[in-house]
Amino acid sequence: MKRFLSVACAAVLLLPALSMFGGCGAKSADVVLRVYNWEEYIDEGGKGAFLYDELHLTEENENGEKVPVESDIVDGDYLDWYRQTMGVELDREGPAILDDFCLWYEKTYGETIRVEYSTFGTNEDMYNEIVLGNEYDLLCPSDYMIMKLAAEGRLEKFDESFFDPTDPLNYYVLNVSPFIAEKFETNAGLEIRTDLDGNEIYWKDYAAGYMWGTTGFVYNPEHVSAEQLEELGWEAFTYPAFKSRITAKDNVRDTYFAALGVTYQDRLRALDPGASDYIEELTRIFNATDNQTISEVEPTLMDIKRNIYSFETDTGKADMVNGKIWLNYAWSGDAVYALDLAESGEDEDGNETGSAKLNFYVPEAGSNLFFDGWVMPKGANKKAAQAFVNFLSMPQNAMRNSYYIGYTSVISGEESEMLAYADYLYGGEEETEENYYDLSYFFGTEAGIYAEEEQRLSRQLYAQFPTPDVIAHCAVMDYYDAEASVRINELWSRVKAETLDAWAIAVICVTFVVIVLFVLFVKFGNKIDFFRKKPKKGYSLVKQERLK
Amino acid sequence: MKIPRFSRKTLCIPYAVFLIFFVIVPMLVIVFYAFTDKSMHISFDNFIRFFSDPTKLSTIVYSLVIALITTVVCLLIAYPVAYILARSTLKKKYVILMLFVLPMWINFVLRVNAIRELFNLLSTLKGLEWLASANYFKTVFGMVYDFLPFMILPLYTTMLKIDRSLYEASADLGASGVTTFLRVTVPLSMPGIMSGITMVFLPSMTNYVVSDMLGNAKVTIIGKFIYEYFGSDWHMGSMVALVLLIVVFVSTWFSGGFKSEENVRGTNL
Repeated sequence: MKRFLSVACAAVLLLPALSMFGGCGAKSADVVLRVYNWEEYIDEGGKGAFLYDELHLTEENENGEKVPVESDIVDGDYLDWYRQTMGVELDREGPAILDDFCLWYEKTYGETIRVEYSTFGTNEDMYNEIVLGNEYDLLCPSDYMIMKLAAEGRLEKFDESFFDPTDPLNYYVLNVSPFIAEKFETNAGLEIRTDLDGNEIYWKDYAAGYMWGTTGFVYNPEHVSAEQLEELGWEAFTYPAFKSRITAKDNVRDTYFAALGVTYQDRLRALDPGASDYIEELTRIFNATDNQTISEVEPTLMDIKRNIYSFETDTGKADMVNGKIWLNYAWSGDAVYALDLAESGEDEDGNETGSAKLNFYVPEAGSNLFFDGWVMPKGANKKAAQAFVNFLSMPQNAMRNSYYIGYTSVISGEESEMLAYADYLYGGEEETEENYYDLSYFFGTEAGIYAEEEQRLSRQLYAQFPTPDVIAHCAVMDYYDAEASVRINELWSRVKAETLDAWAIAVICVTFVVIVLFVLFVKFGNKIDFFRKKPKKGYSLVKQERLK
Repeated sequence: MKIPRFSRKTLCIPYAVFLIFFVIVPMLVIVFYAFTDKSMHISFDNFIRFFSDPTKLSTIVYSLVIALITTVVCLLIAYPVAYILARSTLKKKYVILMLFVLPMWINFVLRVNAIRELFNLLSTLKGLEWLASANYFKTVFGMVYDFLPFMILPLYTTMLKIDRSLYEASADLGASGVTTFLRVTVPLSMPGIMSGITMVFLPSMTNYVVSDMLGNAKVTIIGKFIYEYFGSDWHMGSMVALVLLIVVFVSTWFSGGFKSEENVRGTNL
């Protein structure tokens, strides 16, 4: 029995299992920086990383042989920059970005540093770790979690000097996209909350951006046409022809958001994008958690559950690539990954899949815009933490991270360096007016690239750098306050689990009680006089205990 | 210098420490969280919410049913295997036993993933398309596959211990093969059946990895609830864990209760 109890306890206590892997630097370093980031959310070097891939480019010559070619982007300038920044030559095996950070930090600040890097799987896991008192210097939560942590007074503000554009070491401020900076200054249209002392919270004070994106559908154009999806929008989730061919996310936030989209699609489409309060209205609809909304969304969620193939968090990509499902509700970075995977015709292990290529679509009625940003919990080593954020914000490093993980960096570059990166990856041959893909909103100046129609409308370029039109229809998620959180959790458990009718529960409970009584009777029945047979004539009833 | 006296009691210290820190304290923590609210005040709110929520009660029922079916299927498969292996005079029977137990040495997540892929493959065949959405079937299948060794091993070891002369005596007294099986083998293997049931029944109530991966996360068992609540509301999560603990306690006590009934063996013999 004890064993089962201990197993039960241990299972409960060890639920938010952590995966840890080392960072870099010597044991005896002067400074230690503890970074707590998402799984697979940083360039880890080696094969498949930006530098390795660019240094090992090949092309077929006229004899059909593969010959090495020079990269257009990791060129002589890049190698010079690398030598100057890290103080070493770039080796062809492709270093991990954490190792480079250690080199750079020592070169710049004259101190050795060690990075203790660990990862989490969900914002909630990370939050639990922080509440339990684990100490870190830098975390990477999503937008709503940044708000929650700030509102609970768990975060340090960034130093004022961090935002000083005259210091050449402040790479973040110098390189961040004005579009992102504006969102961080205004909390992207969310209601401004206050912290425990009543001060207004702005993301800008507490967070520096890292990656951003939207949510939408990865779809298989063999079975789903762009026109069809455009017409259906969010209703793809409940469309009977897609039964068991579409997936939703196995977490309440994203699926509830999607269900709001399905339920209120008509209302969302009727909104006037030109209206001054359009974004406020959109944000309000996508963040409604009142009882009435929940009761309206619940039947939609049930319909979604009936229609989808599965709730998933990471199996969707593989299921899309091997053609099992046709639509996968996905974050844009995951979408880029799935698109790349399908295009390469190989699965993660390099086996051929022979799959068709995939496309991406963001519902026009409105979708989710999200940000992941760096924040410093109370007691963090601010100097090292801010140096780390600055290091990652160098455009050359932002490219590496963005390439490795598939999400879009918040960095645009002082000289719009990231535009060259986008052009390099997605740019097309023809420079016609038609092919122009306008990205001015992100770079803050007249900027854009020439890309083929496919890229512009439904592929990696569209997923990584959404069109201004998509951005104009996106709302950011707020965090649920305590009461809303209870309501939403209850809703989610009703959706995920099966609920029996009241009479069925009553019958089962009664049966259960009867079984318990029966067992008690079998076990102790002969010890209770009441149940014992009357003694035969001439015998007398003897208490059980006296016999022993 | 006084040398500390080493007695038999000293040997208990590691276990006592273990017991306190890994059994008693966590239990108290769970009970504490279950009966407090967010501001750490004593509250029966979670208790009331749990038992007035048909979804949670239904999930317990579903978990019990899934666990029950898993256990029965495991027993039906494992019993003949253990019986044949224990009674056979095959030279290679250890190899066969090994083959049944071998999957236990391979990582559990890997095995469940393999089954998932297998089902994916099967569901592309004509006539087997229903497999893709047969979430409950796949969940139970995965659990049976996963927990079968835990049923075979205790059965095999108990049956191995049954004295062969008992079978001979039974035959001498004119009992048929069936009678011998029902009145000698089954009662004598009862301890094995009971420990097999506990080893299979309890984990299959909480093993949500199987239900998530094979049931497309559309099958929810009570373990998943605990996991999800610990993402946002530790108090409710603790309450669910506590209720599960009680269900587990009752079911263990049931099986243990039968086992300690000493005259089960005697009366039936």
